[in-house]
Amino acid sequence: MMCNVFVNVENWAFTEGFLLSSSRIMPKCRFSDVKISGIVTCVPTLERCIDNELELFGGKVKQLERLKKTIGLHRRRVVDEQTTAADLCEQAARYFIEQSAVEPSKIDAIICVTQTPDYSQPCNAAVLHGRLGLSLHCAALDVNLGCSGYVYGIWMAHTMIASGGCERVLLLAGDTISSLVNARDRSVAPLFGDGGSATLVERSQSSAATFFSLQTDGKGYDNLIVPAGGARQPCTKDTAVAVKDEAGNIRSPENLFMDGAEIFNFSITEEPKSVIELLEYAEIDADAVDHFVFHQANRYILSNIAKRLKLDIAKVPMQTVERYGNQSSASIPTAICGELATALADRSSTRLLLSGFGVGLSWASALVEVSDLAAFELIDYTD
Amino acid sequence: MKLDTFIKNFEEAVEDVEVGSLTALTRFKDLKSWDSLAILTVTDAIDMEYGVVPRKPDFESADTLLELFELVQTRLKK
Repeated sequence: MMCNVFVNVENWAFTEGFLLSSSRIMPKCRFSDVKISGIVTCVPTLERCIDNELELFGGKVKQLERLKKTIGLHRRRVVDEQTTAADLCEQAARYFIEQSAVEPSKIDAIICVTQTPDYSQPCNAAVLHGRLGLSLHCAALDVNLGCSGYVYGIWMAHTMIASGGCERVLLLAGDTISSLVNARDRSVAPLFGDGGSATLVERSQSSAATFFSLQTDGKGYDNLIVPAGGARQPCTKDTAVAVKDEAGNIRSPENLFMDGAEIFNFSITEEPKSVIELLEYAEIDADAVDHFVFHQANRYILSNIAKRLKLDIAKVPMQTVERYGNQSSASIPTAICGELATALADRSSTRLLLSGFGVGLSWASALVEVSDLAAFELIDYTD
Repeated sequence: MKLDTFIKNFEEAVEDVEVGSLTALTRFKDLKSWDSLAILTVTDAIDMEYGVVPRKPDFESADTLLELFELVQTRLKK
């Protein structure tokens, strides 16, 4: 990769490149001549089912059944203690490279979106760059985002290509949030699953325009957080001690905490607005979108967003979360590969609205028109 | 915004509560099925009907349905 253009990010004034226009209200933007050409998602084989976790709910069958019925919690796939998000992403990337004609030496940048990296340093992207045998002329960086991260990663890949610095960007988005939850915290334990994905974004002279909208509300950062383990609160023997909260959930500061009500409020308030604003910006009617692929938070949130947007429910994949759990940054590619692979293969062109929302708080939407997208069926992780 | 409609919406949103069984003075947090899940379903019902998303402090500060109704009403006026 040779960066040969100067990019003024503040003004979005590209001296060369493919950015067509942008809104003055940042950051909404539109790209052309960049396409998503392939997606592979890898899931662990170990399956957990809420039906076998009655103990977590104090033996209350009714409470468990309500969660299944209302929130849509059911099964989820989780990693064993030896497997990490990097492993899942590596297997997805290897599968994609094997199945497609992409030469690793032609990949100009690798972006890893994860909140569960192998190490605090170096970044997963550098580690996977080595494991995949990519060229020395290849940029590698991690993005610390969760449920909105896949869309952010797609946007970054578009930006890197539009700037003229890259022809092909490999986006690896994956998380193992199950490793952060306390098994005795029923507010998160039955919800989160794991997954890793590989997406190739590349320059294409014939691709349709892609539109993005990216937003953040950092004031809500503590509604979804792992308090200990960073520089602010390093892990100590005290942070490893799990205690019971008012609702009877047990967790330590090293575990994931989620304020479910606040996350729900945020989702139903901001997500519909973000989607409407993006469609208006793109001047495309919701009816002209073939599939709305939202982050698979849980069925209740998905159906509430769809209800507020008055969407045809058949256009909104929402089985992924019940089969694989909430997979954070991997949930959108899992939904695409798991629920739309056949539909995408049957059509020459499909318009997708991708939208992720969660930790940060952060949310992002993309309107993409894909042609000849190789969305492979989900693959199971093998050691 | 009518109180009786508000109470009906609340009753429909909370599991195991029959429509017509609650009054303005019902202390909703004493309901057997009032839990974190009920907060979500009531939030959804209030937002869909009135376009107001009640926050956790609203549920914490209100004791009766009348008090919750008044909080939503105050938000509507803003």
